[in-house]
Amino acid sequence: MADLFGIWVTVFFTLAIYTFLYKENPWFRIAESVYLGIATGYIITVDLKYLRDQWTGVWSSTGFMMTAFAFAILIGLLWYFRFSRKYFYLYRWPLAVIVGTGIGQAMQTIIFAQFLSQIRGQISLPLFVAGDLMRSFNNILIAIMVPSVLLYFWFTGGSHEIGAMKVIDKIARYTMMTGFGSACGYTGLTRYSLFSGRCQYLLGIPPNPPEAKMAFITIAAAFLLTLIGYDVFKPKTKEIPT
Amino acid sequence: MSLLEKLQSLDRRWVYLLGWIVVLVPLTNPLGLPVSIGRDSTNYYNYIEGIPDGSVVMITFDYGISAMPELYPLTVATFHHLWSHNFKVIVVASWREGPMVMDIVLKEMKPAENYGKVYGEDWIELGWFAQGEVGMAALRKDISGTLPVDYIEKKPTTGFPIMQDVKTAEDIDLLVSFETGTPGLPEWMRQWGTPYSTPMIMGCIGVMVPEVAPYLQTGQLSALIPGLTASAEYEQILKHPGLATAGIDAISTSHLLVIVLVIVGNAAYFMSKGGGGS
Amino acid sequence: MSEALRRIEIPIVITILCTLLQIIPFYINVPPLEAASDTFRSWMILVATCSTFIGAITLIMIHSKTIQKQSKGWYYSAIMIIFMAAITLTGLPIPEAGLGDTNTVFDFLFKNIYTPLGSTMYSIIAFFITSAAYRAFRARNIEAGLVLLSGLLMICKNAPITTSLWPGFVTIGDWIFDVPNMSTMRAIIIGSALGAIALAVRTLLGMERGYLRGGGEE
Repeated sequence: MADLFGIWVTVFFTLAIYTFLYKENPWFRIAESVYLGIATGYIITVDLKYLRDQWTGVWSSTGFMMTAFAFAILIGLLWYFRFSRKYFYLYRWPLAVIVGTGIGQAMQTIIFAQFLSQIRGQISLPLFVAGDLMRSFNNILIAIMVPSVLLYFWFTGGSHEIGAMKVIDKIARYTMMTGFGSACGYTGLTRYSLFSGRCQYLLGIPPNPPEAKMAFITIAAAFLLTLIGYDVFKPKTKEIPT
Repeated sequence: MSLLEKLQSLDRRWVYLLGWIVVLVPLTNPLGLPVSIGRDSTNYYNYIEGIPDGSVVMITFDYGISAMPELYPLTVATFHHLWSHNFKVIVVASWREGPMVMDIVLKEMKPAENYGKVYGEDWIELGWFAQGEVGMAALRKDISGTLPVDYIEKKPTTGFPIMQDVKTAEDIDLLVSFETGTPGLPEWMRQWGTPYSTPMIMGCIGVMVPEVAPYLQTGQLSALIPGLTASAEYEQILKHPGLATAGIDAISTSHLLVIVLVIVGNAAYFMSKGGGGS
Repeated sequence: MSEALRRIEIPIVITILCTLLQIIPFYINVPPLEAASDTFRSWMILVATCSTFIGAITLIMIHSKTIQKQSKGWYYSAIMIIFMAAITLTGLPIPEAGLGDTNTVFDFLFKNIYTPLGSTMYSIIAFFITSAAYRAFRARNIEAGLVLLSGLLMICKNAPITTSLWPGFVTIGDWIFDVPNMSTMRAIIIGSALGAIALAVRTLLGMERGYLRGGGEE
């Protein structure tokens, strides 16, 4: 029984979000508010569980670790001076710790992982591959396209009008437009994959519960009746003659 | 109003209704369209087949509930593939909801019953590690220290047999990531790939696919499953059809709808321009 | 004393020290420094996790005003706060009191509301993409035409119905992925890596202060 109730609740909130496609309405606003509240609360529960697991696992082992843990909590409390006008400056201290450590972490290997390796990959492309004309052609294209796009971003403003930059500019723009077009195509795949997944649930296709199908039909009919019915029967505002 | 003008000013809700129809109809009445196997799914399958028995594979859930429809089928297929072999599987998550998704995977797959896998010996779930890239850096140096308690039995990580020889990133033979955004591939590359040369394969949502291409070309990423279509192909290779295969007809018809609408929209636009219309 | 603590130089120095504490041990082998860096990193994760209530407090501050004044839509604010309180309280990591992952209410809220709403929110964008493709995706010039063409070809590659009609779509799609798309993204990755390095250098020199703004003072 509890499972059946849960399925109906799931279908209700799923369809409530989709009612936005008709127009903004109270069903959508309710679902949106519920989602916002639950998402915020869920993050808190997961973070608190993490802190508890860290305490029981590592930070309660020695006196020094326990002191460090307590100190971390004290510094962590400084975050909440964000809401104080007088002591706002204290909020910047834990923020500085996070930003500094994050930048340090990224800077350890960004030069190798994202810069040198990509340049190495670019330079090591053979411009002529024996027996594979298509690959040779592709490598030549890549050898032209990558520097063109880089130069396009690096040299901005009026420099695009000068001499060879006009040609490089065109190559770069055509390359980027083709690349972004492919990104468009993949975006459609993701969104329809997500929608198809939701529909599989609404239709009760295994391994989803089959009871969802009846809930889908009933709740969808109810929503359509309320939305379309409201539009049809709402009192029409009289036009004031000018 | 001429037909061209009507087409160009069509209420968008009719387009939305068409979207519903082209997805619901093939799901209720499967078309059974053939799925041709592409190079990406083949490379992913062959890579896993190529790693030796006894290898330690770390799976990381870099996605949450919102991306489940696209990545869950691939996750199930990959676990089926890994658990069909003699690998040691360690599951972590850099996204908070990762362990929740793993709970759903476990309910469906039942590794002990269906694959004879023993928790703590053949596989273990360590849970979510905080702070994305910084957490990855901590994890690479000391896996048990960063995740001191396992997620399922709530016992010290170091007490499990599978973790006796697994201390740092150097002990991991393959990193398998299912991704939907940040933290994700670039962070893993910076923190595991570059310092330790940990081999990595991944499956990601379609939106992320274009930005992964350079890593694939340099070999930093060894194999990729780009979205639901390739996941369906992977299921076909494994002969383990699942949700991806069930939903692929809907992907076909919805994509066909987009193609038709773009062509009709452009045709109406150019014809109205050519006819001197507004 | 308070004036001394307010100085912007304090967080800037903290940032610089934390950055150097991560970078130096990676390149220079000083075992005590490396151990300190590792311990500090784990400790810093605890500090970051303590910020978990900021979002909730901000939401409560904004929405409680709406409820108090009974402004338009105040009942939606009330619904939001009620559900936030419900999942937070039932999800507290106190298994001894029956709270946490195994709590029935928490499990219900997560499985039957949070899970479906999360993916539904993202999936609704599919309709907007379709509508936008129909109404706005026009080949007005060469560049727009290229976006349109490569987008359509990639869509054809991802749809089994089109690849079964003509397998050439797979070859063309793979070519677009391997050549122009890869070239574009490679250039963007290199450029963004250089930008990140420049940002890090500026932060180390104390020139980058954007993250310290706020509070009505410089």
